[in-house]
Amino acid sequence: MSAVGFADLSHDEASASVGSTWAAARRLMLAFLVTGFSALMIGASIGPLQALNYAGIDLYPFLEPALKTYYQGLTIHGVLNAYVFTFFVTAGLLVYLPAREMDVPIPLGLWGACYGTMAVGTLMLLVAMFDNSATVLWTFYPPLKGSAFFYVGMTLLAFGSVLPLPVLLVMRRRWRTLHPGMITPLVTYMSVITMLMWGVCSLGVGLELLVQLVPWSLGWIDAVNPMIARTLFWLTGHPIVYFWLMPAYVSWYGLLPRQAGGKLASDTMARITFVMLFVFSLPVGSHHQFADPGFSPIWRGILTALTMSVALPSLITAFTIGLSLEYAGRRRGGRGIFGWFTALPWGNPAVAAQVLAAITFIVGGSTGLVNGSWQLDSIVHNTTYLPGHFHLTVGSVTALTFMSLAFWMVPHLSGKALVSRRLALASVWLWFVGISLFAVGMLWSGLHGVPRRAWVSSLPAPVYDALYGNAQLPLAVVGLGGAVLWLALLCFYSLFFASLVFGAKTEEGREIGFAEVLGAYAGSAAPNRVAGALDHIWIMTWLVALATVAAYVPILWPFLQHANLSTGWRVW
Amino acid sequence: MSRETVLDPFDEAFHRTADRHERVWVLLCVLMLTLLMIGTMFFVVHDYGVVTRSEAYNNEQIPAETRRAFQEGAVVRTGPNAYSVYITGRLWNWAPGTIHVRQGAAITFHVTSADVLHGFEVQGTPVNLTAVPGMVGTVTHTFQRAGVFFIICNEFCGLEHQAMVGRIVVDPQEAQS
Ligand code: HEM
Ligand SMILES: [Cu+2]
Ligand SMILES: [Cu+2]
Repeated sequence: MSAVGFADLSHDEASASVGSTWAAARRLMLAFLVTGFSALMIGASIGPLQALNYAGIDLYPFLEPALKTYYQGLTIHGVLNAYVFTFFVTAGLLVYLPAREMDVPIPLGLWGACYGTMAVGTLMLLVAMFDNSATVLWTFYPPLKGSAFFYVGMTLLAFGSVLPLPVLLVMRRRWRTLHPGMITPLVTYMSVITMLMWGVCSLGVGLELLVQLVPWSLGWIDAVNPMIARTLFWLTGHPIVYFWLMPAYVSWYGLLPRQAGGKLASDTMARITFVMLFVFSLPVGSHHQFADPGFSPIWRGILTALTMSVALPSLITAFTIGLSLEYAGRRRGGRGIFGWFTALPWGNPAVAAQVLAAITFIVGGSTGLVNGSWQLDSIVHNTTYLPGHFHLTVGSVTALTFMSLAFWMVPHLSGKALVSRRLALASVWLWFVGISLFAVGMLWSGLHGVPRRAWVSSLPAPVYDALYGNAQLPLAVVGLGGAVLWLALLCFYSLFFASLVFGAKTEEGREIGFAEVLGAYAGSAAPNRVAGALDHIWIMTWLVALATVAAYVPILWPFLQHANLSTGWRVW
Repeated sequence: MSRETVLDPFDEAFHRTADRHERVWVLLCVLMLTLLMIGTMFFVVHDYGVVTRSEAYNNEQIPAETRRAFQEGAVVRTGPNAYSVYITGRLWNWAPGTIHVRQGAAITFHVTSADVLHGFEVQGTPVNLTAVPGMVGTVTHTFQRAGVFFIICNEFCGLEHQAMVGRIVVDPQEAQS
């Protein structure tokens, strides 16, 4: 039975010309996937070194000349994992899935330009980071001043990451002329909203780079205002966490229910969730600046309030996805309160990865409520609590969900089967165990005031003990979690590359199983009306842009009144 | 494009309960978030002191005596049981490096930076303030317990960032004359 009117569009690859365009699209998608995961391989393998650092074990002296300092490694870890990995996978995914869902051709030139721009940007970043000329961490706050390669590379990477938006809009327009009067199909809708959100919010860092950092690093201007830079950075830096999350939600809503053997509980709720993420996430970025001078307390209070509302869409997601999984579990014969949970197809690594990701997100999301509240944030600000929190979000929700994508996309795109389902399952479970240990240790030691971003293992032992001795147990747990994560990486990447090279030829998985919706159009017309109203994406975009301007003008105004300029420092 | 589809009985029943539970869940979430929000706002109003405030936006506005206080790393008595402390973060130490304060006194920290960003964290307290060159932030805290507290830089500031540690010595109340 087909509950969703548009899901039964056939993905017909029979005709020769259509088939060859899809083949080109698959190759490009594979390039996005492999590039993203290669970046993660380099970036994440540095992670356990950092975890061991906190456990008091300093391996960096053995790593010269590759990494001169802890901070050089940390810059690479942050930039490759948080930007390059997520941007490449997302820029592929949010074009490829909608194209398959709508069954319209992808403007390959534009999508290829997106890949090319990001690739050039990444190469420049790699040069700047590996020659240690830009050890400025992934937040690159001035007055620390890296080489121009870094900022120009970052600009290209960011610009490229927005290009899926025009690609999507072209495809959607084409689809609408073919299907007049119909509502945008769900996966496409979620992708468009995600990219609109990113398009609007990337303006902050775009301004910072183009007006301040690039001219500064090229020597055209001498000095920049560090507070304005920081504020513009967080204008983008807060919503970027939703740019990490929303593609994972696309997979959870759009694919997981089917993979688990069930249906999506509600199409409308999925749309509402995405719209809420779009609306609430943009104007609240300066809650990352609770500890900064120069902010009006009233504004901070308002931002705290808005931050709380951002939790709502995630709580709804928890409900809808939980319900969809329950449906799947019961369909598979699960009984009782928890029977449905154990009845899920745990042997399918793509399902296991996403369900485990969803579990970590329960903790990840609730710890986020702590840093979102101003008062509580004072205690944990810039301690290891923060990396503890976001390794449960981007480091597991996004990472595990993207791993689940790799499990079906590698066969789907390359026609090569996974070499071992067991290895896939092992990588997922090891990641889950490792990241949980790691995060618990980080959250807990943060409460002891252990600062993030600190090469603590290079301190003389008596100093380390005096400062962090009372956090010894949690810090040891951090190190242990890091070691387990190394094993997870080993399993995952042996599987990933071995499958791409040696995988047996397979024709399975050529179709993408988009989820059906439970009772979508049965009887009640209400879901359609809501979905129809939410389809007016431009009105929404303008409103959000307006709200963002309204939130930021009062914040930036006092900073703009005075030229509080700093020249650059290169002190690493 | 509403298309009539007939649900099988299992789907039908599941769907109906799901719809009901969904409404309850959303209501509960909104309620919980509202309470949380009111809670944090209450704390903000009730316990305003611990929160970072700004004293001056930039260099031009910083009065001469404040500048002098920063240069000397002064501890200034501002009331019967209240003190102002002036601290500058620089590559890679806090100046002054050791500060004596009294147990039970309200201490207002005035913090700035001489070069890049630093993070003024007093371990074991909620004191947390970004040190920005050209700007002064303040935060007030009362140490209820005597002993040594470490000032730890928690904003990356270069090679020796991890070693940028200062000390606050809280002298016990009875030792005061
Ligand atoms: C192998 C698993 C990983 C381990 C063991 C690990 C470990 C760490 C540690 C210990 C830190 C804190 C360093 C510090 O504050 O000094 C850190 C920071 C960070 N990690 Fe990971 N990580 C892992 C995977 C990831 C993944 C998958 C992502 C994102 C996709 C990620 C993104 C980040 C970011 C953005 C930072 C902040 C960097 C900064 O503060 O400048 N990590 N990681
Ligand atoms: Cu944020
Ligand atoms: Cu520092």
